[in-house]
Amino acid sequence: MALSSPGTDGRVVLEISRLHKSFGAQRVLDDVSLTVRERETVCILGPSGSGKSTLLRCVNWLEVPESGTITLSGSQVGWNESGTKPMGEAALARMRTRMGMVFQHFALWPHMTVLQNVMEAPLRVQRRPRAEVRGEAEALLAKVGLADKRAAYPARLSGGQKQRVGIARALAMRPELLLFDEPTSALDPELVGEVLAVMEDLRHEGMTMLIVTHEMAFAREAANRIILLDHGKIVEEDTPERFFTAPATSRARQFLARYV
Amino acid sequence: MGGADLWSLAQGAATTLGVSFLAILFAAPVGLGLALIRWAKIRPLDPVVATLVSALRATPAVTLVLLVYFALPTVGLSLSPFAAAVATLALGSMAFHCEIWRGVLLAFPAEQLDAARAFGMTGRQRFRRIVAPQAWRFALPALVNEMTLLIKVSPAVSVIGVVELTRAAVRIGATTYAPVPPFLIALAFYVPAIGGIVALQRLLERRYGTLPA
Amino acid sequence: MTAHGLAVVWAERGMMLRGLVTTAEIVAIAAVLALALGLVLFVLLVRSQGGPVARAIAWLIDLMRCVPFMLFCYLVYYGLPYCGVLLDGWTAGVFSLAVYNACYFAELLRGAWTQLPREEIEAGSAFGFHGWRLIRHLVLPPVIANALPMLGNQVIQIIKDSAFLIIIAVHELTFSANEIQATFYVPFASFVAAILLYWLLCLAVERGVGAMVRTAEAWR
Repeated sequence: MALSSPGTDGRVVLEISRLHKSFGAQRVLDDVSLTVRERETVCILGPSGSGKSTLLRCVNWLEVPESGTITLSGSQVGWNESGTKPMGEAALARMRTRMGMVFQHFALWPHMTVLQNVMEAPLRVQRRPRAEVRGEAEALLAKVGLADKRAAYPARLSGGQKQRVGIARALAMRPELLLFDEPTSALDPELVGEVLAVMEDLRHEGMTMLIVTHEMAFAREAANRIILLDHGKIVEEDTPERFFTAPATSRARQFLARYV
Repeated sequence: MGGADLWSLAQGAATTLGVSFLAILFAAPVGLGLALIRWAKIRPLDPVVATLVSALRATPAVTLVLLVYFALPTVGLSLSPFAAAVATLALGSMAFHCEIWRGVLLAFPAEQLDAARAFGMTGRQRFRRIVAPQAWRFALPALVNEMTLLIKVSPAVSVIGVVELTRAAVRIGATTYAPVPPFLIALAFYVPAIGGIVALQRLLERRYGTLPA
Repeated sequence: MTAHGLAVVWAERGMMLRGLVTTAEIVAIAAVLALALGLVLFVLLVRSQGGPVARAIAWLIDLMRCVPFMLFCYLVYYGLPYCGVLLDGWTAGVFSLAVYNACYFAELLRGAWTQLPREEIEAGSAFGFHGWRLIRHLVLPPVIANALPMLGNQVIQIIKDSAFLIIIAVHELTFSANEIQATFYVPFASFVAAILLYWLLCLAVERGVGAMVRTAEAWR
């Protein structure tokens, strides 16, 4: 499966190698390996229960895999340098600040304003100076079209607005990689477009993104690579052109027939 | 029933309020501390706290106050009746406070904590910045409810001689041979006091709602 | 201190156990009566929704929830003679526990009832269920099943309130423990033993309710 999209010869930002994960007796991830290069947009598709979210959550160690490795720009996630002991909490926290995450249900902190939400982690975790963080936060909010909502509380926002704040919040960390966990699945249909538009902009700006999504049109249009996950295994890995028009495996064909 | 009797009922009411208020003052922070120990699963304290809370929630106030007042002197801790009363009510209440806080902490929306973790916040940061500012709002109605329960149980301390409102009423009845009128006056204090707190609880429930699903 | 105390308590275990049995009897009888009366109040509440009977019952329940049990107990014990009814401590105690907790049971059932999905009842009406039949077949079973854990908690409350009966000279468990400690000067062992027995009673009720909840779930 040769990959021939622009920017795919860049350095490797994320390397997932032979990931295994079970919940009790249930095998959720089965020998999953994948690579994300700089400036790439990789979309993970698959039916419900295929393990997509779990895979994403393993990347920043919100879920702990049983075996396999995750490497961010050459540094191991979750384990120390030699891979013998689990990473300490502080080291893991530092690792996580290099990856931004956008959640399906937005996960904004309801007792803080929009601006405070965006500023919180850069201020308290990365310990950057307040003036710098504030300036950047306001610029990011303007970028996602919510400058006028900076003093509002999340409860007052629509789903689409909340998710755009979520994206601004993740960007404020200046991450090397953005993880999206079904960012539009919880949105009313008419609000999906505004979020996808922001994600499109990010792609054009060269952000490295790993996206779990159901939005086929977006994946077809925006992804450098499509990965199909089924029952915890990677079934097919393709460019969008090939995946959507002439998939190689029958599972992929079944999936497309059912979901597109 | 004369003025002197009414005055002693008023004093009894003041004692009831005093004992209850002091008990809550101790019970609330200690209960929170116990809940945090259980939430953070701090060994070896966690099972000890669990056992203690379970036992205290099963212990009648009367029995507990007798234990505190009569048994503690045998280990060198001699409390005045008033102090024993406050200690007993506090002990009972803190067990319930612990369970209230535990319920709130366990039901706290996981996604907010996931986001906090994903952004690199440590456990202490997650608690100080995300959980604590919100948790007290969710716990408030239950905590206020616990206040009403404490006042309703406060007459138990009369068995060790603390003259709170109920005992004051009993004493008047014993001397005047008309037991019911002082009881009714005592009711006229308890009902509005407790009813007022219940009304406050309903207000808080409406204002702060329950934990989001 | 403790070894001597425990030895004395063990020697006097007959008295302690008699107190335990009295407590258990009182709680069992009062709980059954309270539940029965509570169900009656609840059914009346449902049947006469919005009417004067429902309002009166709601008012009574709200009132009772603002009254300390100990005061209520005194009122019953000293007040009933004025109505011509002379009761001994045990009967007055059981009566007080029953009436007091009937109101709390009714309130718990009412709470579970408001959580019931309207549609289930409406469907029943559409199929011709009405009045008492509707309540008996479509309201009571789910309400009781949902309220079971809370009802269990209330029984535990009855266990704890039973200790208040010491004030009207009922020889229940705390009374026994107090007698033993006053006679033999072993307060620590005596009351700790009593607390352990109360704890066991409560655990037994919790287990029982847990089993009932599981059978209710399986049945659904």
